[in-house]
Amino acid sequence: MPSLSTYTTPSGFLLPSIHSAAPFFTQQPFETAQSSATDLWTRLILTYARHRRLFVLRVEDTEKTGGDWDEVLRNERINRRMKAGHLEFVLGSMVTKGLAAYEPPDQTRSVLLYWRLPEEWAEVLHEWATNTGQLNTILTFYEITDPPIASELSGLPLPLLRNAIAILAKSGRAQTISIADGDGVRFFARTGR
Amino acid sequence: MHRLGGVGLAAFDRQQQSQRSFAALSTQLSRAQVDTLHAQLDTFRTALTSFATHHRADIRGDPHFRHLFQQMCAAIGVDPLAGPRRGGWWEEALGLGDWQSELGVQIVDVCVSTRERNGGLIEMRELVRLVGRLRGVEGGAVTEDDVVRSIRALKPLGAGYEVVDCGDGRKMVRSVVKELDADQMVVLAIAAKQDGRVDEDLLVRERGWTVDRARAVLENMLLRDGTCWLDDQDGPDGMGRAYWVPAAMEWPDE
Repeated sequence: MPSLSTYTTPSGFLLPSIHSAAPFFTQQPFETAQSSATDLWTRLILTYARHRRLFVLRVEDTEKTGGDWDEVLRNERINRRMKAGHLEFVLGSMVTKGLAAYEPPDQTRSVLLYWRLPEEWAEVLHEWATNTGQLNTILTFYEITDPPIASELSGLPLPLLRNAIAILAKSGRAQTISIADGDGVRFFARTGR
Repeated sequence: MHRLGGVGLAAFDRQQQSQRSFAALSTQLSRAQVDTLHAQLDTFRTALTSFATHHRADIRGDPHFRHLFQQMCAAIGVDPLAGPRRGGWWEEALGLGDWQSELGVQIVDVCVSTRERNGGLIEMRELVRLVGRLRGVEGGAVTEDDVVRSIRALKPLGAGYEVVDCGDGRKMVRSVVKELDADQMVVLAIAAKQDGRVDEDLLVRERGWTVDRARAVLENMLLRDGTCWLDDQDGPDGMGRAYWVPAAMEWPDE
């Protein structure tokens, strides 16, 4: 048996040594052991998602190869993979801890990952609007998530964007506006309006 | 003929008199001896203190030197930690009391923070490594010997810390009040040789145990004590069941 070691994936992500431990891929029957494993999986999933800017993780990602999550959910070097039920359990714990949200709601097999919390996205969003000189102008959601010059917000899923806007609206820094082709938003400096 | 002792009642007096003189002489002699001894002890104490003060940095910082110093102390029958009382001259001279308590706290820290994962059982080398990391570079190196000594010092606290010998020079530190039975010791020893992995077959083959006995001890460690982790994708078909003892695994990135 090889000793545990870290490993750099083709995508340039450094996997921790626990990822080369066979039992890490089995849901542990002993509660404290699994809670320790859940913490490790949670950290691993979030750092990997941040590394590759992945926003969605589905239970079914464990069952097929060739997806975005292979490098984490599988370890071909030791011939192990995370099973669906195990991932569903970990996702449940992440949702409980506020590190992910079921998306769509009312199911437990797909989540939106909060490698940045909605509050953090709100700040990133406001900063972006300020730095690109787009305060007080009406922007469509599309203009934010698919800007001509790629930004931190490129590809941000709509539910997360809405969430972030709602947080800014609470402090009077944003206002949603209905426009012809859907939703729009206007940002204000500090507590304007 | 003159008799030295004399006769009659006077002889009693004389005898008593000489007994008194002898007693006085004896007291005088023992006092002289005690005085000399005191003087010698003082000299010894001064010498040891000056040695300790002089080499204080070495004793605290250099594990090899510390070991030799402790050996020397043991050879002359003094315990650098015991000291006559708390805050006594030993501690003053060495600061070793603080050093040892600090190490004790660090050992407890590592044991407690890894307990979720290893069920309160950690391999000695791993413990030494993690304590070393906790201390950082300035803390100075720590040896297995130091850790054993500190764990002994923790004993009066009744926390149940104990060094367990698994054979072939491997030691584990148990930080939970839980007896390890003979079968569990065997599992630990075998796991330690396999980088942490054991299964029923291995126990049956190596020890001639029945499958039931092997399963019982492994399942107890897995489900009751939390000292084992399960791998249900073992073997060529990926369906086998293996048990891993985190205490016997090395985690290079921690």
